[in-house]
Amino acid sequence: MPVKTISYEELIPGYEFPPATYELSASLVSKYLKAVDSAGDGFVPPLAVTACAIAAMTGSFSLPSGIIVIHASQELEFFKLVPIGTTIECHIGVAQKITRGKMSMLILEFEVFDKGKEKVQSGRATIALPT
Amino acid sequence: MLTEIQEGKALNSVVKHITQEKINLYAEASGDFNPIHLDESFAATTPLGGTIAHGMLNLAYVSEMMTSAFGRSWLSGGKLRAKFKEPARPGDTLTINGKIDCVEQKDDVSYANCSFECRNQKGEMIVTGETIVKLSSDKE
Repeated sequence: MPVKTISYEELIPGYEFPPATYELSASLVSKYLKAVDSAGDGFVPPLAVTACAIAAMTGSFSLPSGIIVIHASQELEFFKLVPIGTTIECHIGVAQKITRGKMSMLILEFEVFDKGKEKVQSGRATIALPT
Repeated sequence: MLTEIQEGKALNSVVKHITQEKINLYAEASGDFNPIHLDESFAATTPLGGTIAHGMLNLAYVSEMMTSAFGRSWLSGGKLRAKFKEPARPGDTLTINGKIDCVEQKDDVSYANCSFECRNQKGEMIVTGETIVKLSSDKE
């Protein structure tokens, strides 16, 4: 998990968060499969990997009290399956920050690698912050 | 999995019922404890009027449909683009439908371009989007 958070105001395009590391343990995958009502097949579901990356993104910055974050859109590309027990590293950066009237939009990009530095997946999330 | 990759072919639908318990479980599994998903009294004071499911929970159901249709071709060679239109709420029943819009050849590799939509029991669009699957040799 990220060790520190920065404020929303400090986020600027080009900013890169410190990499976040997760162990995709059997208990985490089991919890995930139960939550999404799905049977496992011995591999980590790609969306479980994405969930870690999204949590790393949204947990990396702090917002003023009472502000809610809405996930507006998501792009994903899967490159490889990883076995249960894999440790992944999420690299996250700020691509764009847009303010339109009373709505702020933050576009974050991420890449996930396994321990062998092979890319597991990449993605781009747009989150909206009504102010 | 699909036995035929044909333009216009519908993918098997996925139907899921959303409960607060599933949302809570998803928060634990993902580490996303945003109160808009979990704290009913807080969520009631926001413009959303109550707790909502994580967008990624809804996308997990889309991925289930794609996995059922394309297997590993999806899991290790899929691309997805999704827009979250409306929130899914506890008590909602979501139906995810998809179809193959076209099959393209690029550099001797086949790709299935699909579209999908996720609607609630009132017919409201919750998520819409497109996917691309690089078809492995056993699908060609």
